[in-house]
Amino acid sequence: MRVDAHDLVLRYGDVTALDRMSFSLEPGKIYGLLGRNGSGKTSLLSVLAAFRKHSEGTVRVDGAPVFENRDVTRRVSLIRDTGETVDISSAEDALEFAKWLRPDWDAALAASLMDTFAINPKKEVSGMSKGQRSALGVIVGLAGRAPLTMFDESYLGMDAPARHAFYDALLADYMAHPRTIILSTHLIEEVSSLFEEVLIIDRGRLLVQEEAETLLSRGTSVTGPILQVDAFTEGMTVLGARELGPTKSAMVYGHLDDVRRKRAVESGLDLGPIAMQDLFVHLTGGPR
Amino acid sequence: MRFPSRLLAANMWFAVMLWAGYLVLVTVITLAVELFGELNQSAWEQATQLPRWYAFFTGVTLVRQFLPLYIAHGQTRREFGAQAAVTVALFAPFLSALITISYLLETALYGLLDRPQVISQAHLFTEPTQVPLVFAEYLLEFLVWIIGGSFIGAGFYRWGAGGLLTIPVGILLAVLAETATGGELRLPLLRVIDLNLSPSAAMTAGVGIGAFVLGLALTWPLIRDVPLRNKA
Repeated sequence: MRVDAHDLVLRYGDVTALDRMSFSLEPGKIYGLLGRNGSGKTSLLSVLAAFRKHSEGTVRVDGAPVFENRDVTRRVSLIRDTGETVDISSAEDALEFAKWLRPDWDAALAASLMDTFAINPKKEVSGMSKGQRSALGVIVGLAGRAPLTMFDESYLGMDAPARHAFYDALLADYMAHPRTIILSTHLIEEVSSLFEEVLIIDRGRLLVQEEAETLLSRGTSVTGPILQVDAFTEGMTVLGARELGPTKSAMVYGHLDDVRRKRAVESGLDLGPIAMQDLFVHLTGGPR
Repeated sequence: MRFPSRLLAANMWFAVMLWAGYLVLVTVITLAVELFGELNQSAWEQATQLPRWYAFFTGVTLVRQFLPLYIAHGQTRREFGAQAAVTVALFAPFLSALITISYLLETALYGLLDRPQVISQAHLFTEPTQVPLVFAEYLLEFLVWIIGGSFIGAGFYRWGAGGLLTIPVGILLAVLAETATGGELRLPLLRVIDLNLSPSAAMTAGVGIGAFVLGLALTWPLIRDVPLRNKA
Protein backbone atom coordinates (compact mmCIF):
# COMPACT_ATOMS: atom_id res chain seq x y z
CA MET A 1 0.00 0.00 0.00
CA ARG A 2 1.14 3.51 -0.73
CA VAL A 3 1.45 5.96 2.14
CA ASP A 4 1.42 9.75 1.75
CA ALA A 5 1.81 12.12 4.67
CA HIS A 6 1.72 15.86 4.21
CA ASP A 7 2.49 18.40 6.92
CA LEU A 8 1.52 15.81 9.49
CA VAL A 9 1.22 17.16 13.02
CA LEU A 10 0.42 15.30 16.21
CA ARG A 11 0.23 17.07 19.53
CA TYR A 12 -0.24 15.71 23.04
CA GLY A 13 -1.28 18.81 24.92
CA ASP A 14 1.73 21.14 24.74
CA VAL A 15 4.04 18.49 23.30
CA THR A 16 4.42 18.28 19.53
CA ALA A 17 5.23 14.67 18.74
CA LEU A 18 5.07 15.03 14.94
CA ASP A 19 6.07 18.38 13.55
CA ARG A 20 4.94 19.02 9.95
CA MET A 21 6.21 15.70 8.65
CA SER A 22 5.85 14.98 4.95
CA PHE A 23 6.88 11.85 3.09
CA SER A 24 5.65 9.22 0.67
CA LEU A 25 6.20 5.48 0.78
CA GLU A 26 5.95 3.41 -2.35
CA PRO A 27 4.13 0.08 -2.02
CA GLY A 28 5.93 -3.25 -1.80
CA LYS A 29 9.05 -2.30 0.11
CA ILE A 30 10.54 -2.94 3.53
CA TYR A 31 11.13 0.37 5.28
CA GLY A 32 13.24 0.99 8.34
CA LEU A 33 11.97 3.70 10.66
CA LEU A 34 14.80 4.88 12.84
CA GLY A 35 14.84 7.49 15.54
CA ARG A 36 15.99 8.06 19.06
CA ASN A 37 13.77 7.61 22.09
CA GLY A 38 10.99 10.17 21.97
CA SER A 39 11.69 11.05 18.34
CA GLY A 40 8.10 10.32 17.31
CA LYS A 41 8.35 6.80 15.83
CA THR A 42 5.49 5.32 17.84
CA SER A 43 3.39 8.44 17.30
CA LEU A 44 3.90 8.26 13.55
CA LEU A 45 3.05 4.56 13.34
CA SER A 46 0.02 5.09 15.60
CA VAL A 47 -1.32 7.71 13.22
CA LEU A 48 -0.70 5.48 10.18
CA ALA A 49 -2.63 2.65 11.88
CA ALA A 50 -5.47 4.91 13.09
CA PHE A 51 -4.56 4.19 16.69
CA ARG A 52 -4.56 7.97 17.07
CA LYS A 53 -6.09 10.85 15.22
CA HIS A 54 -3.55 13.36 13.95
CA SER A 55 -3.88 17.05 14.89
CA GLU A 56 -3.14 18.67 11.53
CA GLY A 57 -2.07 17.81 8.00
CA THR A 58 -3.09 14.80 5.99
CA VAL A 59 -2.21 11.13 5.94
CA ARG A 60 -3.49 8.89 3.18
CA VAL A 61 -3.04 5.21 2.52
CA ASP A 62 -3.64 4.25 -1.09
CA GLY A 63 -5.09 7.72 -1.54
CA ALA A 64 -7.71 7.44 1.20
CA PRO A 65 -7.77 8.97 4.69
CA VAL A 66 -6.99 6.49 7.45
CA PHE A 67 -8.77 7.43 10.65
CA GLU A 68 -12.08 5.59 11.08
CA ASN A 69 -11.98 4.43 7.47
CA ARG A 70 -12.59 0.69 7.57
CA ASP A 71 -11.68 0.19 3.92
CA VAL A 72 -8.17 1.27 4.86
CA THR A 73 -7.75 0.19 8.48
CA ARG A 74 -8.72 -3.43 7.87
CA ARG A 75 -5.73 -3.62 5.53
CA VAL A 76 -3.31 -1.99 7.97
CA SER A 77 -1.63 -3.75 10.89
CA LEU A 78 0.53 -2.27 13.62
CA ILE A 79 2.05 -4.61 16.18
CA ARG A 80 3.38 -2.84 19.25
CA ASP A 81 5.03 -4.03 22.41
CA THR A 82 1.93 -3.00 24.36
CA GLY A 83 0.24 -6.21 23.21
CA GLU A 84 -3.21 -5.02 22.11
CA THR A 85 -3.58 -8.00 19.81
CA VAL A 86 -2.44 -10.68 22.23
CA ASP A 87 -3.55 -9.65 25.74
CA ILE A 88 -6.59 -11.89 25.80
CA SER A 89 -6.75 -15.13 27.80
CA SER A 90 -4.85 -17.81 25.85
CA ALA A 91 -2.61 -17.69 22.77
CA GLU A 92 -5.23 -19.76 20.97
CA ASP A 93 -7.87 -17.11 21.73
CA ALA A 94 -5.61 -14.34 20.44
CA LEU A 95 -5.17 -16.23 17.16
CA GLU A 96 -8.91 -16.93 16.93
CA PHE A 97 -9.73 -13.25 17.25
CA ALA A 98 -7.07 -12.39 14.68
CA LYS A 99 -8.50 -14.98 12.30
CA TRP A 100 -11.97 -13.55 12.80
CA LEU A 101 -11.00 -9.90 12.36
CA ARG A 102 -8.19 -10.05 9.79
CA PRO A 103 -9.41 -10.52 6.19
CA ASP A 104 -6.06 -11.85 4.90
CA TRP A 105 -5.32 -14.13 7.87
CA ASP A 106 -3.13 -17.16 7.05
CA ALA A 107 -3.89 -19.80 9.69
CA ALA A 108 -1.30 -22.22 8.31
CA LEU A 109 1.46 -19.62 8.63
CA ALA A 110 0.31 -18.82 12.17
CA ALA A 111 0.43 -22.50 13.13
CA SER A 112 3.86 -22.90 11.58
CA LEU A 113 5.21 -19.84 13.42
CA MET A 114 3.70 -21.07 16.70
CA ASP A 115 5.91 -24.15 16.24
CA THR A 116 8.93 -22.08 15.25
CA PHE A 117 8.65 -19.96 18.40
CA ALA A 118 7.60 -22.94 20.55
CA ILE A 119 4.47 -21.27 21.88
CA ASN A 120 1.87 -23.47 23.53
CA PRO A 121 -1.54 -22.39 22.11
CA LYS A 122 -3.28 -23.28 25.37
CA LYS A 123 -1.02 -21.12 27.50
CA GLU A 124 -2.48 -18.01 29.10
CA VAL A 125 -0.86 -14.89 27.62
CA SER A 126 -0.65 -13.28 31.06
CA GLY A 127 1.56 -16.17 32.19
CA MET A 128 3.95 -15.91 29.25
CA SER A 129 7.47 -14.52 29.38
CA LYS A 130 8.16 -11.17 27.72
CA GLY A 131 9.82 -12.99 24.83
CA GLN A 132 6.86 -15.31 24.29
CA ARG A 133 4.40 -12.40 24.31
CA SER A 134 6.55 -10.59 21.77
CA ALA A 135 6.77 -13.70 19.62
CA LEU A 136 2.99 -14.09 19.72
CA GLY A 137 2.68 -10.46 18.62
CA VAL A 138 4.91 -10.95 15.60
CA ILE A 139 3.02 -14.13 14.70
CA VAL A 140 -0.23 -12.12 14.66
CA GLY A 141 1.50 -9.42 12.59
CA LEU A 142 2.98 -11.78 10.02
CA ALA A 143 0.02 -14.15 9.66
CA GLY A 144 -2.34 -11.16 9.36
CA ARG A 145 -0.72 -10.45 5.94
CA ALA A 146 -2.00 -6.88 6.01
CA PRO A 147 -0.91 -4.99 2.87
CA LEU A 148 0.60 -2.38 5.20
CA THR A 149 2.24 -4.18 8.12
CA MET A 150 4.16 -2.30 10.79
CA PHE A 151 6.19 -3.58 13.74
CA ASP A 152 7.00 -1.03 16.40
CA GLU A 153 9.91 -2.56 18.30
CA SER A 154 7.53 -5.40 18.97
CA TYR A 155 10.30 -7.99 18.82
CA LEU A 156 12.71 -6.40 21.31
CA GLY A 157 11.57 -8.74 24.06
CA MET A 158 12.66 -11.79 22.07
CA ASP A 159 16.09 -13.33 22.52
CA ALA A 160 18.64 -13.23 19.69
CA PRO A 161 17.82 -16.64 18.13
CA ALA A 162 14.09 -15.84 18.21
CA ARG A 163 14.69 -12.42 16.65
CA HIS A 164 16.68 -13.97 13.83
CA ALA A 165 13.93 -16.54 13.31
CA PHE A 166 11.53 -13.59 13.03
CA TYR A 167 13.74 -11.82 10.48
CA ASP A 168 13.95 -15.02 8.42
CA ALA A 169 10.19 -15.57 8.60
CA LEU A 170 9.47 -11.97 7.71
CA LEU A 171 11.77 -12.00 4.71
CA ALA A 172 10.47 -15.36 3.45
CA ASP A 173 6.84 -14.27 3.76
CA TYR A 174 7.58 -10.88 2.20
CA MET A 175 9.21 -12.59 -0.80
CA ALA A 176 6.18 -14.87 -1.19
CA HIS A 177 3.62 -12.13 -0.50
CA PRO A 178 5.15 -8.71 -1.22
CA ARG A 179 3.61 -5.90 0.81
CA THR A 180 4.61 -2.66 2.48
CA ILE A 181 6.39 -3.35 5.74
CA ILE A 182 7.68 -0.77 8.21
CA LEU A 183 10.07 -1.86 10.95
CA SER A 184 10.77 0.56 13.76
CA THR A 185 13.79 -0.51 15.76
CA HIS A 186 16.76 0.38 17.90
CA LEU A 187 18.57 -2.80 16.83
CA ILE A 188 19.78 -1.09 13.68
CA GLU A 189 22.71 -3.33 12.84
CA GLU A 190 20.67 -6.46 13.35
CA VAL A 191 17.83 -5.41 11.06
CA SER A 192 19.41 -3.00 8.59
CA SER A 193 20.09 -5.69 6.00
CA LEU A 194 16.31 -6.07 5.61
CA PHE A 195 15.69 -2.40 4.84
CA GLU A 196 15.19 -1.30 1.27
CA GLU A 197 14.55 2.27 2.31
CA VAL A 198 15.20 4.12 5.53
CA LEU A 199 13.44 6.99 7.26
CA ILE A 200 15.25 8.69 10.11
CA ILE A 201 13.22 11.00 12.29
CA ASP A 202 14.25 13.20 15.15
CA ARG A 203 12.19 15.45 17.41
CA GLY A 204 9.11 14.80 15.32
CA ARG A 205 10.74 15.82 12.05
CA LEU A 206 11.90 13.76 9.11
CA LEU A 207 15.69 13.98 8.80
CA VAL A 208 16.38 11.49 6.05
CA GLN A 209 14.42 9.34 3.64
CA GLU A 210 16.66 7.38 1.33
CA GLU A 211 17.27 4.02 -0.22
CA ALA A 212 19.31 1.99 2.27
CA GLU A 213 22.17 1.64 -0.21
CA THR A 214 22.23 5.36 -0.91
CA LEU A 215 22.27 6.12 2.79
CA LEU A 216 25.09 3.67 3.38
CA SER A 217 27.07 5.21 0.51
CA ARG A 218 27.12 8.45 2.47
CA GLY A 219 29.59 6.93 4.87
CA THR A 220 32.94 5.30 4.19
CA SER A 221 35.58 3.71 6.35
CA VAL A 222 39.13 4.71 5.44
CA THR A 223 41.82 2.34 6.68
CA GLY A 224 45.59 2.54 6.33
CA PRO A 225 48.72 4.06 7.84
CA ILE A 226 47.90 6.80 10.36
CA LEU A 227 49.57 9.66 8.45
CA GLN A 228 47.95 8.80 5.13
CA VAL A 229 44.51 8.42 6.74
CA ASP A 230 44.86 11.76 8.54
CA ALA A 231 45.97 13.46 5.33
CA PHE A 232 43.15 11.94 3.30
CA THR A 233 40.42 12.78 5.81
CA GLU A 234 41.54 16.32 6.49
CA GLY A 235 38.60 18.68 5.95
CA MET A 236 36.10 15.82 5.89
CA THR A 237 33.46 15.01 8.52
CA VAL A 238 34.99 12.24 10.60
CA LEU A 239 32.39 10.31 12.58
CA GLY A 240 34.94 8.31 14.56
CA ALA A 241 38.34 6.70 14.38
CA ARG A 242 40.28 3.79 15.87
CA GLU A 243 43.98 3.09 15.91
CA LEU A 244 45.78 -0.21 16.18
CA GLY A 245 49.57 0.20 16.13
CA PRO A 246 50.51 2.09 12.97
CA THR A 247 47.10 1.52 11.39
CA LYS A 248 44.12 3.80 11.65
CA SER A 249 40.55 3.37 10.59
CA ALA A 250 38.38 6.47 10.27
CA MET A 251 34.69 6.72 9.43
CA VAL A 252 33.92 9.68 7.22
CA TYR A 253 30.55 11.13 6.29
CA GLY A 254 29.84 12.46 2.83
CA HIS A 255 29.91 11.27 -0.70
CA LEU A 256 33.33 10.31 -2.06
CA ASP A 257 33.66 11.07 -5.75
CA ASP A 258 35.77 9.02 -8.14
CA VAL A 259 38.71 11.43 -7.90
CA ARG A 260 38.90 11.03 -4.14
CA ARG A 261 38.48 7.28 -4.35
CA LYS A 262 41.33 7.08 -6.86
CA ARG A 263 43.48 9.22 -4.58
CA ALA A 264 42.76 6.89 -1.67
CA VAL A 265 43.83 3.86 -3.63
CA GLU A 266 47.01 5.61 -4.75
CA SER A 267 47.73 6.42 -1.09
CA GLY A 268 47.44 2.75 -0.17
CA LEU A 269 44.21 3.24 1.73
CA ASP A 270 41.37 0.75 1.90
CA LEU A 271 37.84 2.10 1.51
CA GLY A 272 34.86 0.21 2.85
CA PRO A 273 31.28 0.63 3.98
CA ILE A 274 30.37 1.76 7.47
CA ALA A 275 27.56 0.58 9.66
CA MET A 276 24.13 2.16 9.35
CA GLN A 277 24.12 2.62 13.10
CA ASP A 278 27.18 4.90 12.92
CA LEU A 279 25.45 7.03 10.30
CA PHE A 280 22.33 7.11 12.45
CA VAL A 281 24.26 8.31 15.50
CA HIS A 282 25.89 11.03 13.42
CA LEU A 283 22.67 12.18 11.78
CA THR A 284 20.72 12.33 15.01
CA GLY A 285 23.34 14.42 16.74
CA GLY A 286 25.27 12.15 19.11
CA PRO A 287 24.70 12.03 22.87
CA ARG A 288 22.07 14.32 24.45
CA MET B 1 -22.41 -5.06 10.20
CA ARG B 2 -20.91 -8.41 11.06
CA PHE B 3 -22.57 -10.27 13.92
CA PRO B 4 -20.25 -10.15 16.97
CA SER B 5 -20.15 -13.91 17.39
CA ARG B 6 -16.58 -14.09 18.69
CA LEU B 7 -17.07 -11.31 21.18
CA LEU B 8 -20.24 -12.92 22.44
CA ALA B 9 -18.78 -16.41 22.48
CA ALA B 10 -15.73 -15.25 24.44
CA ASN B 11 -17.91 -13.62 27.10
CA MET B 12 -20.59 -16.31 27.20
CA TRP B 13 -18.14 -19.18 27.56
CA PHE B 14 -16.38 -17.43 30.44
CA ALA B 15 -19.73 -16.59 32.05
CA VAL B 16 -20.92 -20.21 31.90
CA MET B 17 -17.70 -21.43 33.51
CA LEU B 18 -18.05 -18.87 36.29
CA TRP B 19 -21.74 -19.59 36.75
CA ALA B 20 -21.15 -23.35 37.06
CA GLY B 21 -18.57 -22.76 39.78
CA TYR B 22 -20.76 -20.20 41.52
CA LEU B 23 -23.78 -22.50 41.37
CA VAL B 24 -21.81 -25.21 43.15
CA LEU B 25 -20.58 -22.71 45.76
CA VAL B 26 -24.05 -21.31 46.48
CA THR B 27 -25.47 -24.84 46.69
CA VAL B 28 -22.76 -25.90 49.15
CA ILE B 29 -23.44 -22.81 51.29
CA THR B 30 -27.18 -23.51 51.13
CA LEU B 31 -26.64 -27.09 52.32
CA ALA B 32 -24.28 -25.87 55.04
CA VAL B 33 -26.94 -23.47 56.32
CA GLU B 34 -29.45 -26.33 56.25
CA LEU B 35 -27.09 -28.56 58.24
CA PHE B 36 -25.77 -26.05 60.76
CA GLY B 37 -28.45 -23.36 60.89
CA GLU B 38 -31.92 -22.51 59.74
CA LEU B 39 -32.65 -22.38 56.02
CA ASN B 40 -35.66 -20.12 55.74
CA GLN B 41 -35.05 -17.87 52.74
CA SER B 42 -33.70 -17.95 49.20
CA ALA B 43 -29.92 -18.11 49.04
CA TRP B 44 -29.87 -16.96 45.43
CA GLU B 45 -31.59 -13.74 46.35
CA GLN B 46 -28.44 -12.84 48.30
CA ALA B 47 -26.11 -14.49 45.80
CA THR B 48 -27.10 -12.14 42.96
CA GLN B 49 -24.95 -9.37 44.45
CA LEU B 50 -21.75 -10.79 42.93
CA PRO B 51 -23.08 -11.40 39.38
CA ARG B 52 -24.01 -7.74 39.02
CA TRP B 53 -20.37 -6.82 39.75
CA TYR B 54 -19.29 -9.44 37.23
CA ALA B 55 -21.60 -7.74 34.73
CA PHE B 56 -20.08 -4.38 35.62
CA PHE B 57 -16.53 -5.61 35.00
CA THR B 58 -17.62 -7.26 31.77
CA GLY B 59 -18.61 -3.76 30.67
CA VAL B 60 -15.26 -2.36 31.79
CA THR B 61 -13.41 -5.15 29.96
CA LEU B 62 -15.34 -4.51 26.77
CA VAL B 63 -13.66 -1.12 26.51
CA ARG B 64 -10.38 -1.78 28.32
CA GLN B 65 -9.50 -4.99 26.50
CA PHE B 66 -11.65 -5.47 23.42
CA LEU B 67 -11.65 -1.91 22.07
CA PRO B 68 -7.82 -1.90 21.66
CA LEU B 69 -7.96 -5.44 20.27
CA TYR B 70 -10.53 -4.46 17.65
CA ILE B 71 -8.73 -1.29 16.59
CA ALA B 72 -5.37 -3.07 16.46
CA HIS B 73 -6.99 -5.56 14.11
CA GLY B 74 -8.12 -2.82 11.76
CA GLN B 75 -11.70 -2.34 12.91
CA THR B 76 -13.04 1.17 13.41
CA ARG B 77 -14.32 2.55 16.68
CA ARG B 78 -17.73 2.78 15.04
CA GLU B 79 -17.66 -0.93 14.17
CA PHE B 80 -16.55 -1.79 17.68
CA GLY B 81 -19.28 0.40 19.19
CA ALA B 82 -21.95 -1.37 17.16
CA GLN B 83 -20.58 -4.82 17.97
CA ALA B 84 -20.26 -3.97 21.66
CA ALA B 85 -23.85 -2.66 21.78
CA VAL B 86 -25.18 -5.86 20.21
CA THR B 87 -23.01 -7.90 22.56
CA VAL B 88 -24.39 -6.13 25.63
CA ALA B 89 -27.94 -6.41 24.33
CA LEU B 90 -27.53 -10.19 23.98
CA PHE B 91 -25.20 -10.90 26.86
CA ALA B 92 -27.46 -9.29 29.49
CA PRO B 93 -30.41 -11.62 28.74
CA PHE B 94 -27.98 -14.52 28.68
CA LEU B 95 -26.81 -13.67 32.22
CA SER B 96 -30.39 -13.09 33.28
CA ALA B 97 -31.33 -16.54 31.96
CA LEU B 98 -28.53 -18.09 34.05
CA ILE B 99 -29.85 -16.37 37.18
CA THR B 100 -33.42 -17.44 36.36
CA ILE B 101 -32.25 -21.04 35.96
CA SER B 102 -30.41 -20.74 39.27
CA TYR B 103 -33.63 -19.71 41.04
CA LEU B 104 -35.47 -22.66 39.46
CA LEU B 105 -32.75 -25.11 40.49
CA GLU B 106 -32.96 -23.64 43.97
CA THR B 107 -36.72 -24.16 43.93
CA ALA B 108 -36.11 -27.85 43.20
CA LEU B 109 -33.47 -28.10 45.93
CA TYR B 110 -35.70 -26.39 48.53
CA GLY B 111 -38.51 -28.75 47.50
CA LEU B 112 -36.28 -31.75 48.19
CA LEU B 113 -35.30 -30.29 51.55
CA ASP B 114 -38.89 -29.24 52.26
CA ARG B 115 -37.85 -25.67 53.01
CA PRO B 116 -39.61 -22.42 52.10
CA GLN B 117 -37.86 -20.43 49.34
CA VAL B 118 -38.81 -17.09 50.85
CA ILE B 119 -38.00 -13.89 48.98
CA SER B 120 -37.29 -11.31 51.67
CA GLN B 121 -36.72 -8.14 49.68
CA ALA B 122 -38.83 -6.08 47.29
CA HIS B 123 -38.63 -7.33 43.70
CA LEU B 124 -40.57 -7.27 40.52
CA PHE B 125 -41.49 -10.87 41.40
CA THR B 126 -42.87 -12.36 44.59
CA GLU B 127 -42.11 -16.01 43.83
CA PRO B 128 -38.89 -17.33 42.21
CA THR B 129 -41.07 -19.42 39.90
CA GLN B 130 -42.47 -16.30 38.20
CA VAL B 131 -39.99 -16.85 35.41
CA PRO B 132 -40.85 -13.90 33.12
CA LEU B 133 -40.66 -11.41 35.99
CA VAL B 134 -37.44 -12.89 37.40
CA PHE B 135 -35.94 -12.77 33.93
CA ALA B 136 -37.12 -9.20 33.32
CA GLU B 137 -35.75 -7.90 36.60
CA TYR B 138 -32.27 -9.35 36.16
CA LEU B 139 -32.24 -8.44 32.49
CA LEU B 140 -32.71 -4.80 33.43
CA GLU B 141 -30.14 -5.05 36.18
CA PHE B 142 -27.48 -6.64 33.98
CA LEU B 143 -28.16 -4.31 31.07
CA VAL B 144 -27.61 -1.30 33.29
CA TRP B 145 -24.59 -2.68 35.12
CA ILE B 146 -22.82 -3.75 31.92
CA ILE B 147 -23.47 -0.47 30.15
CA GLY B 148 -22.50 1.41 33.33
CA GLY B 149 -19.26 -0.57 33.42
CA SER B 150 -18.62 0.28 29.76
CA PHE B 151 -19.22 3.97 30.42
CA ILE B 152 -16.97 4.11 33.48
CA GLY B 153 -14.37 1.90 31.75
CA ALA B 154 -14.38 4.27 28.77
CA GLY B 155 -13.94 7.23 31.11
CA PHE B 156 -10.89 5.70 32.77
CA TYR B 157 -9.45 4.50 29.44
CA ARG B 158 -9.74 7.96 27.95
CA TRP B 159 -8.93 10.21 30.89
CA GLY B 160 -7.03 7.99 33.34
CA ALA B 161 -7.81 9.17 36.87
CA GLY B 162 -10.24 11.69 35.36
CA GLY B 163 -12.51 8.70 34.82
CA LEU B 164 -13.55 9.12 38.47
CA LEU B 165 -15.94 11.76 37.17
CA THR B 166 -17.94 9.07 35.38
CA ILE B 167 -18.63 7.06 38.54
CA PRO B 168 -21.54 9.20 39.82
CA VAL B 169 -23.30 8.81 36.46
CA GLY B 170 -22.77 5.04 36.58
CA ILE B 171 -24.18 4.93 40.11
CA LEU B 172 -27.19 6.96 39.05
CA LEU B 173 -27.93 4.42 36.30
CA ALA B 174 -27.70 1.57 38.84
CA VAL B 175 -29.98 3.37 41.29
CA LEU B 176 -32.51 3.95 38.55
CA ALA B 177 -32.50 0.26 37.64
CA GLU B 178 -32.86 -0.88 41.25
CA THR B 179 -35.69 1.49 41.92
CA ALA B 180 -37.52 0.44 38.78
CA THR B 181 -37.53 -3.16 40.00
CA GLY B 182 -38.48 -2.31 43.56
CA GLY B 183 -35.06 -3.37 44.80
CA GLU B 184 -32.66 -1.66 47.09
CA LEU B 185 -29.06 -1.13 46.08
CA ARG B 186 -26.94 -2.13 49.04
CA LEU B 187 -24.06 0.21 48.51
CA PRO B 188 -22.84 2.69 51.15
CA LEU B 189 -24.55 6.10 51.17
CA LEU B 190 -27.02 5.16 48.48
CA ARG B 191 -30.05 4.89 50.73
CA VAL B 192 -30.25 8.66 50.69
CA ILE B 193 -31.14 8.47 46.99
CA ASP B 194 -34.69 7.25 46.66
CA LEU B 195 -36.52 7.93 43.44
CA ASN B 196 -39.63 6.38 44.99
CA LEU B 197 -40.96 4.81 41.80
CA SER B 198 -43.56 2.06 41.81
CA PRO B 199 -42.16 -0.89 39.88
CA SER B 200 -44.09 -2.60 37.13
CA ALA B 201 -43.19 -4.74 34.15
CA ALA B 202 -43.82 -1.85 31.78
CA MET B 203 -41.69 0.49 33.83
CA THR B 204 -38.92 -2.13 34.02
CA ALA B 205 -38.94 -2.47 30.25
CA GLY B 206 -39.02 1.30 29.76
CA VAL B 207 -36.25 1.98 32.26
CA GLY B 208 -34.19 -0.91 30.92
CA ILE B 209 -34.35 0.29 27.32
CA GLY B 210 -33.94 3.91 28.37
CA ALA B 211 -30.92 3.22 30.58
CA PHE B 212 -29.33 1.07 27.87
CA VAL B 213 -29.77 3.75 25.22
CA LEU B 214 -28.62 6.46 27.63
CA GLY B 215 -25.56 4.42 28.57
CA LEU B 216 -24.69 3.92 24.89
CA ALA B 217 -25.22 7.61 24.18
CA LEU B 218 -22.93 8.56 27.04
CA THR B 219 -20.22 6.02 26.16
CA TRP B 220 -19.99 6.74 22.43
CA PRO B 221 -18.56 10.28 22.75
CA LEU B 222 -15.83 8.86 24.98
CA ILE B 223 -14.67 6.22 22.49
CA ARG B 224 -15.49 7.72 19.09
CA ASP B 225 -11.98 9.17 18.66
CA VAL B 226 -10.18 7.73 21.68
CA PRO B 227 -6.48 7.10 21.06
CA LEU B 228 -5.03 3.72 21.95
CA ARG B 229 -2.71 4.01 24.91
CA ASN B 230 1.01 3.81 24.24
CA LYS B 231 1.55 1.80 27.40
CA ALA B 232 -0.09 -1.46 28.40
